[in-house]
Amino acid sequence: MKERVYKVISQVFNVPIEKINEESSSDNIEAWDSLKHMNVVLALEEEFNVQFGEEQILEMLNVGLIIEILKEIV
Amino acid sequence: MAESSWLDQNGKMTYAEIQEKLERADLTGLIPVNISILRNIMVEPIVPYLRYFAMKSGLNCHIKFGEYDNIFQESLGVSSDLINKELDSVLVFLKLETLSWNLARNFTGLSKELINNEIEIIKKNTKKVLAGIRQKTNAIVLWSTFEIPIYPSLGIWDSQAKDGQLATVRELNEILCEIFRNTPGVYALDINLCIARVGGKNFYDHRFWHIGRAPYTREALSEVGREIIKYIRPLKGKNKKCLVLDCDNTLWGGIIGEDGIAGIKLGRTHPGSAFYEFQQEIVNYYNRGIIIALCSKNNEDDVWEVFNDHPDMVLKRKHIAVARINWGDKVTNLKQIAHELNIGLDSIVFVDDSDFEINLVREKLPEVHTIHLQKNETVKYREKLAAFGLFDTLEISTEDKKRGEMYKVEVTREKLKEDTADLKSYLSTLETEVEISFADEFSIPRIAQQIQKTNQFNLTTRRYNRVDIEKFVGDKVSDVICLRLLDRFGDYGIVGTCILKYIESQAVFDIFLLSCRIIGHGVEGVFLAEALKLAKIRGCKTAVGEYYATKKNSQVEYFYKQYNFKELVVENNSKGNRKFLFKLNDKIPEPKNYFKSIVSVLK
Repeated sequence: MKERVYKVISQVFNVPIEKINEESSSDNIEAWDSLKHMNVVLALEEEFNVQFGEEQILEMLNVGLIIEILKEIV
Repeated sequence: MAESSWLDQNGKMTYAEIQEKLERADLTGLIPVNISILRNIMVEPIVPYLRYFAMKSGLNCHIKFGEYDNIFQESLGVSSDLINKELDSVLVFLKLETLSWNLARNFTGLSKELINNEIEIIKKNTKKVLAGIRQKTNAIVLWSTFEIPIYPSLGIWDSQAKDGQLATVRELNEILCEIFRNTPGVYALDINLCIARVGGKNFYDHRFWHIGRAPYTREALSEVGREIIKYIRPLKGKNKKCLVLDCDNTLWGGIIGEDGIAGIKLGRTHPGSAFYEFQQEIVNYYNRGIIIALCSKNNEDDVWEVFNDHPDMVLKRKHIAVARINWGDKVTNLKQIAHELNIGLDSIVFVDDSDFEINLVREKLPEVHTIHLQKNETVKYREKLAAFGLFDTLEISTEDKKRGEMYKVEVTREKLKEDTADLKSYLSTLETEVEISFADEFSIPRIAQQIQKTNQFNLTTRRYNRVDIEKFVGDKVSDVICLRLLDRFGDYGIVGTCILKYIESQAVFDIFLLSCRIIGHGVEGVFLAEALKLAKIRGCKTAVGEYYATKKNSQVEYFYKQYNFKELVVENNSKGNRKFLFKLNDKIPEPKNYFKSIVSVLK
């Protein structure tokens, strides 16, 4: 799962996959603004065939948290 | 740039795939289109869709966004980076929820008086915003209409209530359309059509509406983007003009040469009904002015037997402007069709059920747009054709409605040309009547359309819209004149436009163009001579004609020279542009006269 999440993040923000870790967030990825956040959410939904609730969307503050939320619902 | 049938495919592409395609595409050489979006919602994810559909039509879209809910300041304030003369189109998305919470969500709490009050405010503000935009740019404005609520406030009663929420939103939309009809260059972007196609349940993502005021799903924005490009395409002369159809398994089910006239599938009931409805849709295109042609590998007599004798043929022989029914290859046949109709290959949409033919045409004639009909999906043919939008134009004039007929007549003329050996005696037999006059309110829509669409006999290929032309007509430093043509086969309507701009004592041919339909009538000399006479009447000493080279207008490179203009040197000219001068004291070249009459009302 981790690899798939990293792949999505890398594609959406156009950053090399090696540079992504669980701490990656809007603080250290420059392109991660609120609009791109929407792209991340929709791309993850496409990749894992899931639907997030709006609370979960707002909780996805970094890659680690994204993986935790995904673990709960996949 | 090769066009593929994106109408078939894009639905299955993900957002990331579209973005990747855009990143990898070479957009150099595409026609640039500048778009600014004013809005009170977030619609940013529409960008890849707009750029992708634009690219597929040979356009390179540049998109800017106004600030969230800042439309008054942006339209009424000083000219800015956002709204300026360089723009091709302004898009406006004003969602009712943000514009009037009362009408959108608090409807049941409103008195009739309050409702009317809200409507009045919206009406007034719409006019203000439009006037503000118009002061800054002549770009076309596409204004999204208000969304019809999927669950109206008064429930089932709302469906027929006179002053229910549905009636109110419909009234608002009618008010918008009324304003747009009276403001040239402004068009309603019917979001309710997009909602109907995508489905209301798939149109909204309530999570992002609440989190970030981004109400629409990607599927919704894809459809809206596609709808927007339908307006941009004709604006940039990229709309298609001719539909070329295969016959077997396209117009009817089965193969006429094998199944015979009684064996092919065509009729009012399944399975023939799919073809019956498909043909009806083709006739609808014909009635809109789209040229219909046939390109089929068959014995010609077999095909015409179906046209003449099959009781359920909706498409008739009279609808077909030109037919290439033979055993030759379709690439050659398509080229001949284009030549015979005097249109570019990039004006053609080719429809066939055969993988082989479609792939051959895609490879050899990439400028032709191909539609591949799948044999196991005949019931979808009709909607596929109706969903096109490739032929859409910003206006449908009476000339358009007659055009299918006119092209048919054109082919009759061509035949006569073959019969009549020498050109001059042929031209005299046409009994051509020419009328040259100033543009007026009746001719301006057609003139605008001509300026936007003509590619071949077009000396400068400047694209002006209706607002620009009205300005030229109104001012004192230019004249807009047009040429109308009739001959014994029919009335062509307005087929020539010329815009003269007067700079001190020099007249400049800013626009000189003729519809490709009438090239060969010998009217270009008459039109030029009358324009020169007008320049003289206006007190000019010289006239300048320019030629701007495009991929399509090489036939007119030396047009002015043929009429005794002297070529001038153009500096730093790598593009092959040319410039010619005529001294108005010289004798204005008398065109050869093989016309029944020439009436000019210029003075």
